[in-house]
Amino acid sequence: MIETKALDLAVQDLRNILRDGLVATDIWDRTDGLSLAGYNQQPVAVALFTRITSELESALADSGFPPLSRYYLMDMGGNHTAAVIMHGTLLQGMLIDNKRANLGILISVAIPRMIEAVARAKVR
Amino acid sequence: MMARSVSWTDPKSVALLLSRVSGSSRPALSLAHVASGASEPSRPTPAIAPVRALVAPKPPEPKVVPQIEQTSDNPSDRLDTLVAWTLDHHRCTGAFVADDNGLTLAAHGISEAHVSLVGPLLSALVSVRSIPGIDATAGALLLGENMMSWVEARTERGGFCLGAVGAEPLSTLALEQLKEALEITLRGV
Repeated sequence: MIETKALDLAVQDLRNILRDGLVATDIWDRTDGLSLAGYNQQPVAVALFTRITSELESALADSGFPPLSRYYLMDMGGNHTAAVIMHGTLLQGMLIDNKRANLGILISVAIPRMIEAVARAKVR
Repeated sequence: MMARSVSWTDPKSVALLLSRVSGSSRPALSLAHVASGASEPSRPTPAIAPVRALVAPKPPEPKVVPQIEQTSDNPSDRLDTLVAWTLDHHRCTGAFVADDNGLTLAAHGISEAHVSLVGPLLSALVSVRSIPGIDATAGALLLGENMMSWVEARTERGGFCLGAVGAEPLSTLALEQLKEALEITLRGV
């Protein structure tokens, strides 16, 4: 059971932290691709990152590498960073403007807070 | 009878030469006058000031640093407030907050390249702390012409470092104030 209102509050908290550095975010269930909360939501990105994450997980497993842990980052063109956070059955994607958001804030503050907030939303 | 001196130091000849080259702006000083040891016209002797007892200057009073006031729950605002408070109340030209990987969370007056050295610095101190009785959560590091004073605070999410860059290292008291301010700030981060 997931409380979507708590997810909305977590997204709002994320917007407050990253301010205009957060271009878009979605939190979705990876089994059905249903977005549960977000900001400037991107259905195409939801489908894309569900597939990328699954491929990455199987490629790592097949190669005998350690599995993904909390998140992974992609440095993209146009001064953008994509971050994908693993919340168990939920995935969260974020598109960040590198010129407006601080990588330290993203990794040390925003992502850990998001992980905690989604975990709380799932246990309610 | 004594032969006449042909030395160039003949007083009259030298006085004559001096008077030629010195012009009218300044009267030539006769060598004879100098040689005689006659003193210049006496200058008025300044009145002797009453002797005052020498008192050692008082050491400057330690500046009272107000405790940091964090009014926002927003982590970015809190970190910015901490950097501003550090710059306002401590002798430094730059200040920053970094995580224990050396990633900048907030900074002013210092490059990210300099902040990034916090990562290896804090990693190196992990083994230093294994020595009993060694705290190693504050210190100062020479960065070329500047000193970087830093304090560290640890949370459940890892270590965070507040640094101040200036010409001199900060005092022990100042480091304690920085550490307290960092801990207060991290309560909302």
